[in-house]
Amino acid sequence: MNLVPLAFYAAACVAYVWHFARRQPVVGRAATTLLGLAALAHTFVIGMETMQAGQIPITGATSAISTFVWLLALSYLYTEMTTNERAMGTFIAPLLVALQAIPAVRPGVDSPPPVLRGPLFSLHVSSLMCAYASFALACMIGVTYVLLFKEIKAKHLGFFYARLPSLQVLDSMNQRAIALGWIFLTVGLVVGVIWTSNARGDAAGIADPRVQAISLLDPKIFVALVCWLVYSFEVFAARRIGWGGRRAAYLSAIGFVIVLLNFVPISYFVTNSHDF
Amino acid sequence: MHLLLVGISHRTAPVELRERLDFHAGGVASAVRALAARGCAREAVVVSTCNRAEIYAVCDDAEPARADLASFLTDFHGLDAATLKPHLYDLVDLDVTRHLFRVASGLDSLVVGEPQILGQVKEALTTATAEQTVGPLLNRLFHSSFGVGKRVRTETGVGSGAVSIGFAAVALARKIFGGLNGRDILVVGAGEMGKLTALHMKSQGVGRVTIVSRTMSHATRTAEAIGGASVAPWEDIDAVLSASDIVITATGALSPILTKAHVEAVMRPRRNRPLFIIDIAMPRDVEAEAGEIEQVFLYNIDDLQITVRENMARREGEIARAQAIISEEVDKFAQWLRSRGAIPTVVALRNHFEQVRRSEIDRLEPKLATLPPEAKERLEDITHLIIEKLLLKPTEQLKALGGDPDTVGNYAEVVTRLWGLDNLEGAEGERRPRGRVEPFPGPKSRSSGGSGR
Repeated sequence: MNLVPLAFYAAACVAYVWHFARRQPVVGRAATTLLGLAALAHTFVIGMETMQAGQIPITGATSAISTFVWLLALSYLYTEMTTNERAMGTFIAPLLVALQAIPAVRPGVDSPPPVLRGPLFSLHVSSLMCAYASFALACMIGVTYVLLFKEIKAKHLGFFYARLPSLQVLDSMNQRAIALGWIFLTVGLVVGVIWTSNARGDAAGIADPRVQAISLLDPKIFVALVCWLVYSFEVFAARRIGWGGRRAAYLSAIGFVIVLLNFVPISYFVTNSHDF
Repeated sequence: MHLLLVGISHRTAPVELRERLDFHAGGVASAVRALAARGCAREAVVVSTCNRAEIYAVCDDAEPARADLASFLTDFHGLDAATLKPHLYDLVDLDVTRHLFRVASGLDSLVVGEPQILGQVKEALTTATAEQTVGPLLNRLFHSSFGVGKRVRTETGVGSGAVSIGFAAVALARKIFGGLNGRDILVVGAGEMGKLTALHMKSQGVGRVTIVSRTMSHATRTAEAIGGASVAPWEDIDAVLSASDIVITATGALSPILTKAHVEAVMRPRRNRPLFIIDIAMPRDVEAEAGEIEQVFLYNIDDLQITVRENMARREGEIARAQAIISEEVDKFAQWLRSRGAIPTVVALRNHFEQVRRSEIDRLEPKLATLPPEAKERLEDITHLIIEKLLLKPTEQLKALGGDPDTVGNYAEVVTRLWGLDNLEGAEGERRPRGRVEPFPGPKSRSSGGSGR
């Protein structure tokens, strides 16, 4: 079922790249339409999975990736509509395709175990998903900032100069995305701590070794804290010590690499506690 | 009926001659009026810019009209025909279409892709329309050219990138700061170059402009010339610098007045807010190393010139794509032009039917006189309806021929022969030649009044 949105994401990706290279308005509109259709199809898929599992499919790394892609597509579409700027789509769409390929080839939704049912757990995961989507956007905005910055600094005004919005716009978009992501990340982590202390006390939690394995030394939790530190520094540095512009862009990129690392390989292979 | 263009442009004539042929001196409106009065053209539009003086006309016979338009140019501007002749060019029919499409797209401009020309072409049509010298053909041609100009600009890069130093600086500032509204400018030096660049920036809506010069009186004079600019003493340069977003340096100093260390010190209290320095002085006013500082964007006159040259080259590279669009649009216009070929035949056929109907009713008038008025009206209606129904299909068929002019010609020939339309006189006693459209749609007195001149 996840193949249908994947096909639309891939088509949108091709259209965004084509539009970026050739700057034909029709292709740009087609790209947005295709991404809109992809998000719509994805909403339908997630809706079906929600019906099947009884709650939003956020348990299990595969389902979580699918939900993350959906959130990222929606937040990008929102950004595009509010800024009327399509250039970023060229950088976001490939990420959507790459990540959506995982749920597309590993389908199936598991019914969540009893320990993972409840509003606190849902809030924990949804907050983190929103944070990751914001960080993904910030990363792509950061990458485009650096590309444009380098062209202007090198006094070679070419490809990106003609296609990207101004440095100022990119910088403020980056900082806004980071601030929003940081709020979600903080909420997600705090709720996670509260949920853990509750879960450890109830019967289902005591029986589940994964709940017992939750600790600061678990790679997933440790890396999440590293992320929080990186983004906290970025939020602070941009406001207090003038680390805006290119430095903030680099931090956004580094931060998201860590997020991605935590989200895919660590979730699948390393963690002991978050292996739901 | 032909489309005809006679004129000169920067490609064929030097600036001295272009100045003498500038229609704005005598008034474009009076030129089109005088042109209409000569009677050699059915429709006319005069496009006059500093780089071209062109007359677009619709005429029955291209050869005499060509000569007449050329002599109009010399008469109107009081020039010697021999002086003008080597620089004059003329084009006919689809070549005119192609030329106007190129002009409106900025491909024929001195600076390829410059945007003003489209507005100037629009203005030319507006003036001619006000003088009622525009008929269906030129109206369609010019409106098509507006569409082509817009299409070329949106679908190709012929209009992209700044191609003058001033615009390149403004474009760069926009790319760094987003908008220029509220951005503060510091001009170091009170010379002409600095003043001109600051004026250019000011016209783009920047915030505060401050002039700093070693000689206060010079700074004051420049500030007055710019209008609304303030002056600061040389000692305060650091304070003004740290509060500014864009710095234009244009002093005559022999060694750099802003060193890397100097700019670094200024950047600290700014918390790395971007600083765009435009160094247009020669020798340079700002140490090149200052450009290495994070969030300092330093461009000197050569850098801006290279940008301009690159943009020019990029625009040139887009010409082929623009040409393809123009060819496509010329084909569309040609198609429309050909479909008009059948119109005179359709009109003649309808006139013929109407004449027959009218003469039959007139012939029967004595017998119909006894009928009540309602019955007469009914008779008129029924006979009209019969004609409409009979002619509906042939009219549709003739209009749909479009494409090949030979086919249109053959059909027209057959219809003309079958109905004997050749021998018919028009409503005004004049035979309608094939392809003729209505002359100037304005008051008839204009062309008749003018014929006396």
